[in-house]
Amino acid sequence: MRLSAADRRRPTLGDGLVVLVVAAAALLLLAALRPKGTDSLTATITLDGQVVAQYQLAELSQPVSLTLEQAPYPLTIQIEADGVSILHSACPSQDCVRTGRITQTGQQIICLPNRLVVSLTGAGDLEFDAVTG
Amino acid sequence: MKRICFFLLMLGLLSGCAAPAAQSEPAQAQFFSMDTVMSVRVYDGPKEDAVQAARQAVEELDGLLSRTNPDSQLSALNAHAGDGSPVALDGRVSELLTFAKSISQLLPGDFDITIAPVMDAWGFTTDQRQVPDPQTLAGALALVDSDKLNMDETASTARLEAAGMEVDLGAVAKGYAAGQAAAAIRETGATSALLDLGGNVTALGRKADGSAWQVGVKDPQDTAQTLCILSMEDQTASTSGGYERYFEEDGVVYHHIIDPETGYPADSGLLSVTVVSADHTLADALSTALFVAGEEEALDFWRSRTDFELVLCTSDGRVVVTQGLEEGMRPTGEDRGYTYEIVRR
Repeated sequence: MRLSAADRRRPTLGDGLVVLVVAAAALLLLAALRPKGTDSLTATITLDGQVVAQYQLAELSQPVSLTLEQAPYPLTIQIEADGVSILHSACPSQDCVRTGRITQTGQQIICLPNRLVVSLTGAGDLEFDAVTG
Repeated sequence: MKRICFFLLMLGLLSGCAAPAAQSEPAQAQFFSMDTVMSVRVYDGPKEDAVQAARQAVEELDGLLSRTNPDSQLSALNAHAGDGSPVALDGRVSELLTFAKSISQLLPGDFDITIAPVMDAWGFTTDQRQVPDPQTLAGALALVDSDKLNMDETASTARLEAAGMEVDLGAVAKGYAAGQAAAAIRETGATSALLDLGGNVTALGRKADGSAWQVGVKDPQDTAQTLCILSMEDQTASTSGGYERYFEEDGVVYHHIIDPETGYPADSGLLSVTVVSADHTLADALSTALFVAGEEEALDFWRSRTDFELVLCTSDGRVVVTQGLEEGMRPTGEDRGYTYEIVRR
């Protein structure tokens, strides 16, 4: 015989406990399986494919000025806790200086005449896989 | 007992939910080629081999198509301009020249690969940027005419009719290279990859979790930001904008996308044009051509075809998106004052 709605058993304390345990287990699993990312930005500077310097921005207590005299067109890079920019460059195009300061993961400064790339990585996930433009 | 079974069942289900299919670490390479920075990321199959195959395909093309390498086939074609002798070309060079000529015929006045003498006069190819004097500019402009690039596809030869004419394939080479690199990656058995050839993004297949690639479109007024994010699969997104290369003289900004009709930087009311297409070379060529053409002509051309979609950023702050990109497109520039319009056929 089918029970009416009124006759059905109400949730007991035990049921509530099971729900709580399952929810806690889910949260623990999510935390354990979440991809690990770094909290800090890393600036990597490459010249013609070779890494010439790398900085953890959060570890910088004061700005660093890095001059690359060995570049075809010598340039000075300003590395700060919250971003990186090209202060001066002897390159003819000046596109790298005009890029301004990069502050977010995935951003780059490129100096084509010098074959220089400054990349920021780490600190959070991007909402896209690549950028056109 | 029932309760314990329920608990175990829920735990089992949750463990499945909580373990997202992580995007496996790609094999990747970043390198300079075709006067720009390129990156290749391959996510499945023989990843390292696929990356190297893609890089090799691009660098091989650069060796054929470079205008600054005196040993390239393009340099040979330019060096023989006006002397009447046809220059033998690799099938890929011949194919690309024929394609570029076809775009010039489809969009007359908006696209011409014989624009090189004008680009040189402005110094965009030599990095000694300057406003050319009117006489120099007129002389250079008189040499721009892709009708005078004679192709013999059967013999795979080409000839430039007038002395001083020069071809520059900067507006199509990266797109063609994307197609060749994508084919090289697929030949290795890899199916999931992302190529960024100087801002031209090619998405191969899907991500490891089965979802489409998410590709941001750079905000031409704040290149640290995006205008929108597009969903892409087996397509290239190519963007042209005046913000990429420019210089300032006497308070006036001059960018590098030259109108073949006037010889001056295009002033069509567009800040950037993004073309998305499964035809990689078409995407590249059209982003330049339609930037010169302007909004109205670009949309008319879009309506006449079904093989590409557009994102146009106008100088009055509108982002015009064609209907094929609507699904999966996320606006990201509303807080910077952009308004979004979907254009339908």
